Amino acid sequence: MLHKLHDWLDDRIGHRRLLHDALFEPIPGGARWRYVWGSTLVFVFVTQMITGFFLWTAYSPSTLTAWESVYYIQHEMSYGWLVRGIHHFAAQAMMILLGLHFLQVVIDGAYRAPREVNFWMGLVLLQIVLGLSLTGYLLPWDQKGYYATQVATNIAGVTPVVGQQVQQLAQGGAGYGHQTLTRFFALHAGLLPALLIGALAAHIAVFRRHGITVPEKHRDKPADMFWPDQVLKDAIACLAVLATILFFVVYKGAELNGPANPAEAYSAARPEWYFLFLFRFLKFEAIDKLGLAFGAIYVPGAIMTVIALMPIIGRWKMGHRFNIAFTFGLLLGAGYLTVLALREDAADVDYQAAVAEAHRDGERAAELAHQQGIPAQGALALLNQDPFTQGPRLFARACSSCHRYNGHDGTGRLVVITEMVDHQKIMKDSPPTAADLGHFGSREWTREVLVNYHELFVPLKNAPEGAGNRFLEGDMATWSKDSHDVLVDKKNEEGLKALVEFLYQQSGREGTGMVENPLVKTGQEIFTSGKLPSGDMLSMACTDCHGMKLAYQEEPLSEEQGAGAPTLTGYAGYNWLKGFINNPGHASYYGENNQMPAFETRLTAEQIDLLARWMVGDYEPTKLVIGKAH
Amino acid sequence: MVPEPTAETPDTPPATSESVPPTRRSFITGVSAVIAGTIVAVTPVIAGLAFFLDPLLRRRPTMQGATEDGFLPVATLAELPDDGTPLRFGLSADKVDAWNLFKNQTIGTVYLRKINGQVIAFNDTCPHLGCKVDYKPSEHIFFCPCHASAFKLDGERKNEIPPRGMDTLETRVDDKNRIWVKYENFQRGVAEKKVV
Repeated sequence: MLHKLHDWLDDRIGHRRLLHDALFEPIPGGARWRYVWGSTLVFVFVTQMITGFFLWTAYSPSTLTAWESVYYIQHEMSYGWLVRGIHHFAAQAMMILLGLHFLQVVIDGAYRAPREVNFWMGLVLLQIVLGLSLTGYLLPWDQKGYYATQVATNIAGVTPVVGQQVQQLAQGGAGYGHQTLTRFFALHAGLLPALLIGALAAHIAVFRRHGITVPEKHRDKPADMFWPDQVLKDAIACLAVLATILFFVVYKGAELNGPANPAEAYSAARPEWYFLFLFRFLKFEAIDKLGLAFGAIYVPGAIMTVIALMPIIGRWKMGHRFNIAFTFGLLLGAGYLTVLALREDAADVDYQAAVAEAHRDGERAAELAHQQGIPAQGALALLNQDPFTQGPRLFARACSSCHRYNGHDGTGRLVVITEMVDHQKIMKDSPPTAADLGHFGSREWTREVLVNYHELFVPLKNAPEGAGNRFLEGDMATWSKDSHDVLVDKKNEEGLKALVEFLYQQSGREGTGMVENPLVKTGQEIFTSGKLPSGDMLSMACTDCHGMKLAYQEEPLSEEQGAGAPTLTGYAGYNWLKGFINNPGHASYYGENNQMPAFETRLTAEQIDLLARWMVGDYEPTKLVIGKAH
Repeated sequence: MVPEPTAETPDTPPATSESVPPTRRSFITGVSAVIAGTIVAVTPVIAGLAFFLDPLLRRRPTMQGATEDGFLPVATLAELPDDGTPLRFGLSADKVDAWNLFKNQTIGTVYLRKINGQVIAFNDTCPHLGCKVDYKPSEHIFFCPCHASAFKLDGERKNEIPPRGMDTLETRVDDKNRIWVKYENFQRGVAEKKVV
C-alpha cells in the first residue's frame, strides 16, 4: 500500500531519481574528512535559517524596541537564550568554516579549470556571509553592536565617489535611527538570505557538475559513493560543529551589552574577533596616515582581487604555489594582528575597565527591566535614571579628581596620570587628595571617623598648600587621637558599638533597625554626655561641637555651633549628603574650613540626586559589584 | 557535498551495485549517518519550536495594579443613573506588554448598570467574535456592529448570533461607595464562559 503510494508520487514528481542523484555520486579515491567543510557550511547556514526564523518571531526592529525585544528573548522567553545563543555562535562558526573551506580549496587547487566560476561564486557567498554578520551585529542595538557598526558604515562612507550616498542609504538617513534598524533587518532577514540561497544552489549545482577535486595521490584508489561513506563523515563533522556551538551557548552565552546610547562614549568598542585583524591594521600610524580609504578599502580590495585572480594565477605550477603562499601569508598576518590586538587589549587597564562596565550595564539593564518592566521610553531611560549606573559615572567625573572609591574612580578604573617619557606612555598612580569614600556612611566608616580620624582622612595631606592640615590637625583629629585608647579598650567595646549604631541610625539607610533599639539609646547617652557605660569619660561629648536633631523629636539634642563642625542631623543619609555635595562650605557643614567645591553650580539637581542615592545605597537591589576587576 | 546530509535510505538499490556491494559495514555506516544527520537537523528545530511555544509554556500577567484577587476601581455609585441605563467606563491599570510596562493605561472597558442600588458589570466585548458591543439607547439593547449580535440589558441574548449572553464581571462596592470590578476576558465563539 505504502509502496503503491510511493510509486504514485514518484510517477508525478520523480523524487526517487532526485534522491538517487543526490546520494549516489561517486567519490573517486573514496570518502575523505577533508571534503566535509562544504557540508558543514550548508548545515550551519540551515541552522541559521531555522533559528533566525524563530528569532524573527520575537524581534522588533526600532530604536525603542530592538534591545528590549532581544532582552526579552534572552532573559524572559522560554529557551530564548538557547535559540539566540545558537544563532550567535553559529554565525561565528560559519566564519571559521568558511576559512577552512577556502583553505582546502586553495591547497587542493580546486579553483583550477573548469572550476573557476564556481570559485568566484564561492567568493560571492563569502561576501554575502560577511554582509549577514555585519547587519546581524547591529540588530540587538546594544552599545557593542551600535559602535562597532558605526565604524563599518563610516568606512563605507569614505568609499570614493559614492561613499556618502551609500552610507546614508544604509543608515536610512544622516545618522542612526529607527530606519537603520528596519533597513539592516530587511537586509539581514530578507535580501541577503535570499541571495545566499540562490548563490548556494548555483554553487552546489556547479560543484556537482564537475565533481570533487581529488588530490593526485588518491586518484588511483577505488571510488566510494557519496552515500553512505561521505554522508557519515559529513554528518559527524556537522555533529562536532553543533557540539562546539552548544558548548559555547551553555558555557559562555550570547552577550547583550547595555542598550545603545548615542550620548555616551563606548571605550570598549571592538569589532567581532574575526574583524579584529582589520581593526588592528587600521590602528597602525603609518596606515592611518595614508587615509582611511587606503587601509579600509584599497588594501582589503586588493587582497580580494588577488584571491579572485587565483584561478588564473594558478594555471601555472608556480602560480599555484604562490596562491598557497599568499593564503598562508594572509592567515599568518591576520593571525598576528589578531593576537597583537588581543594582547594589547589584555594589557590595557582602561579597556578592561570599559569592558567590565559595558558588561555591567548590560546585566544591570536586564535586572532593571526584569524588576520594573521597560517604560515606553525604552530601556535606556531605566539606566539613565538608575543611581547604581549613573552614580559611579558622576563620581568619576566630579569627585575622583580628589576622592577615591575603594581605591578606584567609582566605575572601577584606576585614577592615573599618563606621562610621555621618551615617547613611551607611562601611567602613574595619581595620589588622592581627599578621603576614600567607598565605605562612606557605613558602620565601619563611622567607627574609623571616631577612632582613626587622621588615618581615614590622611589623603588630605596631599592637598595643595597644606590645606588638608585644617582637618588633619583640627579639633576632630585631636579628639579622635585623645579618645582612641579609651574607645578601643576591650571594656568599651559595647560603648563604641552603641555610639556607632546611634550615628548610623541617623542616616536612615537600609538596615538601621528600630528607633527603640537599646544599643541606639546607649549610643545617644554617650553622644550627649561623653560618658561610656564603663564609666570612662571621653575628652568632650559629641554635642559639645556638633549640632544634632533627632528625626522623631521636637527639640534638638544640641544646637549647631557653626564653627566648621558639621551637623550630625541625619548624618550620612540622603539629605545630609545631598546638602553637603550642594554646598559643603555651608555653616552647617565645614563652614570656613571647607575646601571642596560646591557642586550645586557644577552638577544638575538630578545628577546630585543620582550621586547621593548611589552613595547611600538607595537603588534597586543588584548582584553586580563594581571594581571587581582590580 | 550535498545540501541535506539527512536523507533516508533510498528504496532503490545503488545503481553501481557491482562496485559497492551492500555489506554489513555499509549498513552500519548508513544507520550511523542517518542518526547523526537527524540529530544535527532536529536540534535547531526543537530549540526553535520550544521557543515558539513560549506563550503556551508560560502564563504572564497582562496588567499590574489590581488587588490581589484581581479587582480594579472603576467608578462611584453616584456616577451611575438610578434608572438602570448602562454606562461605559474605562479601567485604568499598568499594562504589561511583553517587555514593556506602560503606566496608567486603559486596559479595558466595561458597562456598569445600577439596579435598586445593586451594580451589574458587563465586559463590553462581544462573546461572538470579540468586537466592542454598543448600547442602543433608542431600543434599550446592547448591539454588536460587527455581526448584529443583540443582547437585552440584563445581558441575555436577543438573537442566536452570539453563542452566549454578555459576560458579566464580578463587582463589589467598598465603604466609600467606590465600585470595583474584577476585569477578565473570556474565550469568544463558544457557549461556555471560560476565562482566557
